[in-house]
Amino acid sequence: MITLTNLSKIFRTELIETHALREVNLQVEEGEFAALTGPSGSGKSTLLNILGTLESFDSGDYLLDGKSINGLSDSALSKLRNEKIGFIFQGFNLIKDYSIFDNIELPLRYRGLKPAERKQRIEHALELVGLHARRHYFPSQLSGGQQQRVAIARAIAGKPRILLADEPTGNLDSLMARQVMELLEQINQQGCTILMVTHDPDQARRAGRNIQIIDGQLHDSTLYEPLSAQSA
Amino acid sequence: MSFYMLCKVLFSRKVVTGLLLLQLAMTLALLLNSILLAQQTHQQLSQPTGLDLDNILLVQLKPTTASLRVYPALEDLLNRQLDAVQAIPGVIAAAYSNQSPIAQGGNNGNIFVVEQQERTNVPSVPMYFVSKDFFKVLGSQVLQGELPQHSVSLDAPGTPDVVLTQSLAQKLFGSASAPGQQVSRGRVAAVISDFYGQRSGSHVMYNNMQVAPPYGVDWGYSILLRSQPQHTTAVRQQLDSALRNVEPNIEIYNIRTLAEQHQRLYRNEYGLATLLALLSGLMLLVTMVSSYSSTHFHALKRQQEIGIKRALGASKKIIFIELLTENWLCTALGSVLGVFLALLLNHALAQVISIPALSGYLPLVAITVLLLCVTVATWYPATIATRVSPATATKAL
Amino acid sequence: MEQFIYYLKVSFKGIKRAPLPYALTIFILSVGLGVFFANATFYYQLNRDPLPHKSDKLFFPMLNLVPYECSTDCKTPSVLSYNNVEKLSQTDIPTQAAAMYSADGYLRQSTEQAPLPVSIRITQRDFFSLFDVPVLHGSIWPDNSARHEVILTKSSAEKLFGRTNVIGEKLLLDDRNVTVAAVLDTWQMLPRLYDANNQNHLSDTDDIYLPLETGYDMNYLSNTQSQTFDDTDYRQLSTQGRTGALHQLQYWVQLDTPAQQQRYWQFMANLVQDEKAAGRHPSAPNNQLVAMRNIVSYFGGESSDIKAFALVTLLFLLVCLFNASHLSLNRYLSNQYEFSLRRALGASRSQLQLQMLADVLLMAIFTIIGALITGFAGIKLMNQLLPANSLFSNWDLPLLLSLLVIAFVCSYLVTLYPSLRASFGTLNQQLKE
Repeated sequence: MITLTNLSKIFRTELIETHALREVNLQVEEGEFAALTGPSGSGKSTLLNILGTLESFDSGDYLLDGKSINGLSDSALSKLRNEKIGFIFQGFNLIKDYSIFDNIELPLRYRGLKPAERKQRIEHALELVGLHARRHYFPSQLSGGQQQRVAIARAIAGKPRILLADEPTGNLDSLMARQVMELLEQINQQGCTILMVTHDPDQARRAGRNIQIIDGQLHDSTLYEPLSAQSA
Repeated sequence: MSFYMLCKVLFSRKVVTGLLLLQLAMTLALLLNSILLAQQTHQQLSQPTGLDLDNILLVQLKPTTASLRVYPALEDLLNRQLDAVQAIPGVIAAAYSNQSPIAQGGNNGNIFVVEQQERTNVPSVPMYFVSKDFFKVLGSQVLQGELPQHSVSLDAPGTPDVVLTQSLAQKLFGSASAPGQQVSRGRVAAVISDFYGQRSGSHVMYNNMQVAPPYGVDWGYSILLRSQPQHTTAVRQQLDSALRNVEPNIEIYNIRTLAEQHQRLYRNEYGLATLLALLSGLMLLVTMVSSYSSTHFHALKRQQEIGIKRALGASKKIIFIELLTENWLCTALGSVLGVFLALLLNHALAQVISIPALSGYLPLVAITVLLLCVTVATWYPATIATRVSPATATKAL
Repeated sequence: MEQFIYYLKVSFKGIKRAPLPYALTIFILSVGLGVFFANATFYYQLNRDPLPHKSDKLFFPMLNLVPYECSTDCKTPSVLSYNNVEKLSQTDIPTQAAAMYSADGYLRQSTEQAPLPVSIRITQRDFFSLFDVPVLHGSIWPDNSARHEVILTKSSAEKLFGRTNVIGEKLLLDDRNVTVAAVLDTWQMLPRLYDANNQNHLSDTDDIYLPLETGYDMNYLSNTQSQTFDDTDYRQLSTQGRTGALHQLQYWVQLDTPAQQQRYWQFMANLVQDEKAAGRHPSAPNNQLVAMRNIVSYFGGESSDIKAFALVTLLFLLVCLFNASHLSLNRYLSNQYEFSLRRALGASRSQLQLQMLADVLLMAIFTIIGALITGFAGIKLMNQLLPANSLFSNWDLPLLLSLLVIAFVCSYLVTLYPSLRASFGTLNQQLKE
């Protein structure tokens, strides 16, 4: 599904160079639920952004579904992102003057789906996250947990192969966080690959695999056996 | 991006959008009316004058001593001046006249067919008292009768024969032959082709000439001459000294081609049209600034939103087109409003100046210009906006 | 004071943070105001009242004392004949009265000199008191009879003699001997309302003054408008011109009270009636007594291009105001976070408003400078394009002051809405945003 080979990312300012990722190698199989952990500034988010094609990298190779994304145009990358990848952010990142429905519809529009199909997919996604009744609400009218569930609905409405979640429960209380985690697990069970950045060891334990990043280097571990099979 | 969504975004920013719409509308209204006025001026300047404007030179002058302004000294002076001007190489013909053609007003009066004053009276017809080559200078065609060959004093018994322009002859006699008929100013000798006389007259092509030395030259007089095209500039340069050599006690008001005279006649219209055009230009500039800044700030404020959209799969192109479409939509809405406003402004302007009514394809032209300007102005900030890093924008807060 | 300087400092910081939008705001306001200023100058100068204390007391009487019978257009001629004026003068109702017209002539000290082209106002004694003309040297003619005495303006005296006190000096006016009776002090009546036919009120004042009777004796024809309604030979002005229907005179009477005006009106009516009874003037009576205040519009001489342009520049100013407020709204919105932070730190609304005032002041200063420059350039351009109005392009103190006030108000308006929005928005929401 995902293969990173010797991938490096350097942030440059006028004064210093920061090696965000050093020669990272990673293989993620279809259907995995992997947690990315590590201290602040270790490169978790950078890795996630690169996996989501939101950020470029300086060297190495990234194969998605066996195809290298090197040299793809902006349009091609956008298409790739739109069709294969779903995002869930810590800050939810809903567009606040769009209704719940409009928010979920956005990626489907970019994909150019017909209105009927869009509607059907949105409703399906809303039912999955249990917010069907609130589809005409605006984000500000919902609680944080509900907003995150909308974000999840938006991410899965396009039926992505991979779901990238950046601390999805970081802004939520424990009850809400548990609900969101359950939702993610449910989605994972339906075959969607999930990579999730988290600080929470419990959550990391619940994921099948824990990938630890320290100083831009991966320390893959199966610390919390035997929840899932380990990959090389 | 659907129309519905765009409208939603636009109307969620009521004040800003409202301001932008109003401004676009006003710009369009002004642009349209400026174009109208410029068109009108252009038409006025390009209407036929019946004259070879570029190759006829006009000198307006006056003797500065009183003794030169009375006969017979005056007639002698006029003839000497004509001889001197004719001697300049390149001059085809020269004539004096109490006044010049292509003027705002001047010496004029009413004219009518004798014993039919009630029916045929035409007011404000210019009267030209000229030397016999006047017609040759203007390049007039004789359409009926024969031109008078000799200058006859206005004070002599009987009145000198009259030459009419075609339009005036038609007005006075219809299709009947004019030569030999009596009009209030004398017997008609000939009818010549039309030329532009006085703007304030009943009709610019109504003119009446008599081959006679002017009554008096208290208002100055004109010397008109036709030159060979290749010599016009050289002749013009020699005129001043040629005339002063004949008689130093003269004031030369000006030396112009009839083309310049024509332009001066419409100077006010030209000035106003130019000012309005400049103002339209400024307005377009202001609109461009506003499109620029609105896109710029809008994009700045919505960095996060753009970032989210990018993350959800919108390419840079899509973001760019979204921003552009937003401004296009705004411009289109403003334009609709602007056409109404243009009609209002047109109506208001028509109260104080003459301006043609708004019609036809003009709004389309103006809207296209406006759209083009808006597009140019939006281009750069929209390009910048697409460079928003989705990774950073989605991380914010 | 120290506090205000602090506010100014903060304003400067705000500008430095986003110089482009600030510069654009100033630019747009300056252009809008400058264009408005340029046209407002002409509009104000063209429509101003040069004799505010008198313009409702000076009247131009016009009547249909003409030898023709009008059938369709019975408009009263806009100039009078010598004969008309003679009849109108046969009353002592007006406090003062003067007939006038203008002509062109050549003036010199001796035949050896090059002649100086001059515009001559040919008029009567009361002209100078009617229009408050200041006299520098000498005295005005004692009566209206013919005399070969001219009155010079200060500038023509300087042009001819190089000095102003030239009373009694001899001159040649179109080769006829005249003496200088008086020299006027600097005087310019703008617009020149006593000569409003054919938009002559836009012209400069005449160079010299000659008694009306002498003007007729010397056969000076009007250089602006003369009309003949019978066989009068206009070369015989001194004889036929005094009796025939040769119209070229303007006539102004001063009628101070409504009673006086009423009496004069009645006098005109009686005069026309008598003339008709004598069988002299077949046209229907159509008496006019037009106050100086209304004379330009009576003659249809209002500068329509300036009016049209006034409408348009006002629109333009509005557009610029909208635009500038739009820009400054954007600027404030991008500064809103800082604003909210200040409020969170305890700045009161009134303190923020004071800050806003400092912003306004700073903006007003820049705007005024920009607007004056644009306005000046605009006036120069308009003088090029519409030269007929060039005498009306001066800035005087009241005009300048009102322009400054307008500029300040505009700067205030442009900052007002955004400032209200920034300082009255909900604090909480802004900080969260």
